[in-house]
Amino acid sequence: MTEPQKHQITDKDGNATKDRPWIFRTYAGHTNVRKSNELYRNNLAKGQTGLSIAFDLATQCGYSSDEDIAKPEIGKVGVPINTLDDFAILFDNIDIAEVNTSMTINGTSMWLLSLYVALAEERGVPIEKLQGTTQNDLIKEFLARGTYVFPPEESIKLIVDMYEFCLTNVPKWNPSNVCSYHLQEAGATPVKELAYSLVTAITVLDAIKERNCFDEEEFERCVGRVSFFVNAGMRFIEEMCKMRAFTQLWDEICIERYKVKNPKFRRFRYGIQVNSLGLTEEQPENNAWRILIETLGVTLSRDARCRALQLPAWNEALSLPRPWDQQWSLRLQQILAYETDLLEYPDLFDGSPVIESKVNDLKEQANAEIQKIMDAGGGVEAIKNGYMKSQLVVSQAERMSKINSGEHIVVGKNRWTDGIESPLVRDSDGGVFKVDPESAAETVSALEATKAKRDDAKVAECLKTLRETAIKGDNMMLASIACAKARVTTGEWTATLRDVYGEYRPPTGVEGQSLSIENETLDTVREKVKTFMDTRGHRPRIVVGKPGLDGHSNGAEMISVAARHAGFDVIYFGIRLSATDIVQSAIEEDVDVIGISLLSGSHNEIMDQLFEELDSEGAKGKIPVVLGGIIPQADAEALKEKGVSAIFTPKDYDLMEVMNRIMDIILANDSE
Amino acid sequence: MQTNPLDEKRLQQLTQAANLKKLPLAKLISLFENRSEKATQERHDIIHHITNNPKTFTGKGVTIGFTGTPGAGKSSLIAELCKTLTQNNDLRIAVLAIDPSSQKSGGAILGDRTRMHSGSKNKNLFFRSQASNLELGGITHNTFQATRLLRYLFDLIIIETVGIGQNEIDIQYMSDHTFLMMQPLAGDQIQFMKAGIMEIPDSFIVNKCDEERLARTSYHMLRASLKQSKLIVLNAKDSFENAAKDNIFLTSATKHKGIQELAGFIRSIQRNDQSKNKKPKDIENFYLQKTIQELYGKFGLDILSQEQEALKQLTGYEEKMTFATTAIEQRILER
Ligand code: B12
Ligand SMILES: Nc1nc2c(ncn2[C@@H]2O[C@H](COP(=O)(O)OP(=O)(O)OP(=O)(O)O)[C@@H](O)[C@H]2O)c(=O)[nH]1
Ligand SMILES: [Mg+2]
Repeated sequence: MTEPQKHQITDKDGNATKDRPWIFRTYAGHTNVRKSNELYRNNLAKGQTGLSIAFDLATQCGYSSDEDIAKPEIGKVGVPINTLDDFAILFDNIDIAEVNTSMTINGTSMWLLSLYVALAEERGVPIEKLQGTTQNDLIKEFLARGTYVFPPEESIKLIVDMYEFCLTNVPKWNPSNVCSYHLQEAGATPVKELAYSLVTAITVLDAIKERNCFDEEEFERCVGRVSFFVNAGMRFIEEMCKMRAFTQLWDEICIERYKVKNPKFRRFRYGIQVNSLGLTEEQPENNAWRILIETLGVTLSRDARCRALQLPAWNEALSLPRPWDQQWSLRLQQILAYETDLLEYPDLFDGSPVIESKVNDLKEQANAEIQKIMDAGGGVEAIKNGYMKSQLVVSQAERMSKINSGEHIVVGKNRWTDGIESPLVRDSDGGVFKVDPESAAETVSALEATKAKRDDAKVAECLKTLRETAIKGDNMMLASIACAKARVTTGEWTATLRDVYGEYRPPTGVEGQSLSIENETLDTVREKVKTFMDTRGHRPRIVVGKPGLDGHSNGAEMISVAARHAGFDVIYFGIRLSATDIVQSAIEEDVDVIGISLLSGSHNEIMDQLFEELDSEGAKGKIPVVLGGIIPQADAEALKEKGVSAIFTPKDYDLMEVMNRIMDIILANDSE
Repeated sequence: MQTNPLDEKRLQQLTQAANLKKLPLAKLISLFENRSEKATQERHDIIHHITNNPKTFTGKGVTIGFTGTPGAGKSSLIAELCKTLTQNNDLRIAVLAIDPSSQKSGGAILGDRTRMHSGSKNKNLFFRSQASNLELGGITHNTFQATRLLRYLFDLIIIETVGIGQNEIDIQYMSDHTFLMMQPLAGDQIQFMKAGIMEIPDSFIVNKCDEERLARTSYHMLRASLKQSKLIVLNAKDSFENAAKDNIFLTSATKHKGIQELAGFIRSIQRNDQSKNKKPKDIENFYLQKTIQELYGKFGLDILSQEQEALKQLTGYEEKMTFATTAIEQRILER
């Protein structure tokens, strides 16, 4: 044995060695269980080491595929799951005792975990072998992601139930995953990302402590189960520092607040998805470089290296990734892990005064922000009073303002915009993934089949127990697992609990927000607003609507703030509205234009609903409708034929130009 | 000012609005909010028509104001109240919710709908957002104007104010009953006292009393400060179950507490209840003065008082307003 050198890592026998790579993940799922199962098996065969399941929005929000609200969404952005029979197919020929399964599920986490446990029990797999994660971070759902189901307190209660159940029964399961990923996608700066996600972790752990269901040793292990899901953006040095700050802050919180003695249980374990918000529709091939650079931020420093990594694809701003796009991103990870010497060294940055100073600065600011929130009543309170949400909108508005002014350079978007067109988008499918619209039928008929053969009395009994357990306030896991086995549906489980717990709409965070855009276009728009007011006798009014289950609110929020900046009166009331909600509001408010924002890919179906609704009120053609979001070029023509006056996509980042075009549409409309 | 008969289209619109059809009704409200001269004449004609056809326009027009600190839960509580009050289908309710306008751009984000689960197809419930507006014509000009119309069409008009500033003072003149809403926070009441705003309301609501404990302490604290300031006749003998007798309502919008009782009380409120005696007898005259003052300052007000006699000969707000502005403009020219 030779004496190890400073640039080497050693194994427990003191021999020079090399780290094992992180887990390679690809976030995947679409169409239906059969297709998704094929996809997973393919990915595993390609060397992927864990599953990361994307569910469709109906499943995430707790609706079955046969409910009206679910129909436009079946299989669009993830796999639809209605009953245990679906799960059996989804994991067909996949060894759930072996595979690590990460589920991006939140409002209905308990239900999906119950299905997984029920599946294991029916297959005879001991449930203590199950390993994986249910995302189950409801605070960030209220702040950024939008698939919440129950009010904040009840949401936290269900999370605590899962921790209580899992610690002894499914010890390798991470009942929840504290997410800062989505916060950054909604605009958070590194400091806000650190602060709000740590506040989230504290909120959950405090609630667990309050229940007093664990002894000291168990509680330590429970703290050890808390894992994180983090974002990494283009400022990759700062992002690396953020990861180091996370590691240190978490250790400090575990020691000081929770008195965790075993360092193993204080380790900051985290998975990563790198930033997608900054990936552009313009010159999309450049995104490949961005993804690589973002990856460096979370892999370079050994002490702050991620446990698992999933990457977006070059065509992020165009559509869901196609299999080839995902493969290309997976290859990036494999090349980095296996072709380079990255994994051979101890931490490269230990002892760097630059890094240390930056880390300390982030920590200090984050601590101050955490303190502020805790003093004002903690995480749940900061959701309800809208503080954290409005802070995210502030940052997003700042970011957009800087892109508008050119201060924040985005290559191909606001600088070096001319170039040769990428051959990648010249594929026959235009680089765009499309879910076969016929595939939903398979899901719905499978649901019908299950409903036809299940024991209805058993279902009713299980749901009754579920309701009673909820009313009593007891742990809901066993009642949920019983429901899963009885073939209760996703919609039935959720509706029962919605009825007991109620529903909740969080603050939108847009009130009082402003942009710092001052340019010629703004002058032009305000001039047009003035002309409009002089001739029509009132301010232009717009309703900005988010119909359906799509929770992407950034665009709608920015458009609302921009419209106010231009001088509009703006009616904006959050996400997850029906076409009826929006049309009725537009009529009552007598708006001059309806602005719809849709990113989840269900625009064709939902715009049909909207126009039907307008028609039934005798308002079609009277109020112009504009649409923005992820709208593939190929759908534009048909949408315009249906009555959409203008379509805006991510490349329309010049907010005042957007307002200018809308003003022209309003001024040209004299249908009154 | 002359009075013109309404044309066919307008008559049809009015009939539909009287039947609470939303599109025409919304357009009419816009006409009442409209600042153009043409709209002034039309409003005059419409009000004339309405007052001459009381059988068609049957709204009871009780107006209720909700004011209080931002975030006290005004929108949430109003939403709950509306659910309860529309249950029997015997009340027609219009809600006007006011949000602040931006100083810089003049635009506003109107977000009170977030709490309303709004966009209901229910004809008996109509919700309209208004910007507090910084232009000439008065902060609550639009609310006043919309109310002029709505009170002939609806039985109950609920106004939610911004929660800060001039609105709070004005709301009492506009409504038959004003509620001041607060949260169960110790410091809150004291602040209100300082602002002198405690003198405005007819009743108090302490919302967010999710638990009885909060209701209890809030009641005793508020009662103590009211007693001290002798602002309100207290009849409940310091027992929190009877708080309503002190004109104090303890509610939780999220836990559905105290809603039935408050709704019952609201049902009992009468239009122009003179015993309350807070509302000026002539609200239109009040707004006339206010608007003139905002437009022309003291100079305008002086002329207004000089022209009192002439004004008395005129009927209707639009007519008086037109007369007054013409007179003042005239004098400005002569200056
Ligand atoms: C940020 C983001 C998120 C954030 C959203 C945070 C938030 N609160 O908004 C988070 C991380 C939460 C998220 C989650 C999901 N996302 Co996402 N997300 C994005 C991303 C990266 C950027 C969108 C964005 O916010 N851009 C910034 C804003 C300002 O721009 P914008 O919305 O495009 O708006 C501009 C224009 O489009 C236009 N506009 C938009 N709306 C309107 C409205 C009007 C009236 C007007 C005039 C103009 C206008 O003007 C705006 C200003 O320029 C996009 C990909 C991309 N790069 O575009 C994927 C993307 C939209 N997401 C996608 C998916 C699938 C999801 C999930 C459904 C995944 C899953 N299976 O769970 C989840 C669930 C979310 C939900 N509840 O619906 C897909 C949608 C696929 C499709 N349409 O086929 C995309 C395209 C990524 C991808 N390629 O797969 N996401
Ligand atoms: N705990 C609790 N929270 C409530 C109650 N009523 C409202 N809230 C919450 O308080 C916050 C503000 O509620 P709103 O109804 O928007 O308050 P508002 O007074 O209309 O606010 P502004 O219009 O912004 O001034 C929201 O988060 C509500 O969910 C209640 O009775 N109890
Ligand atoms: Mg409000």
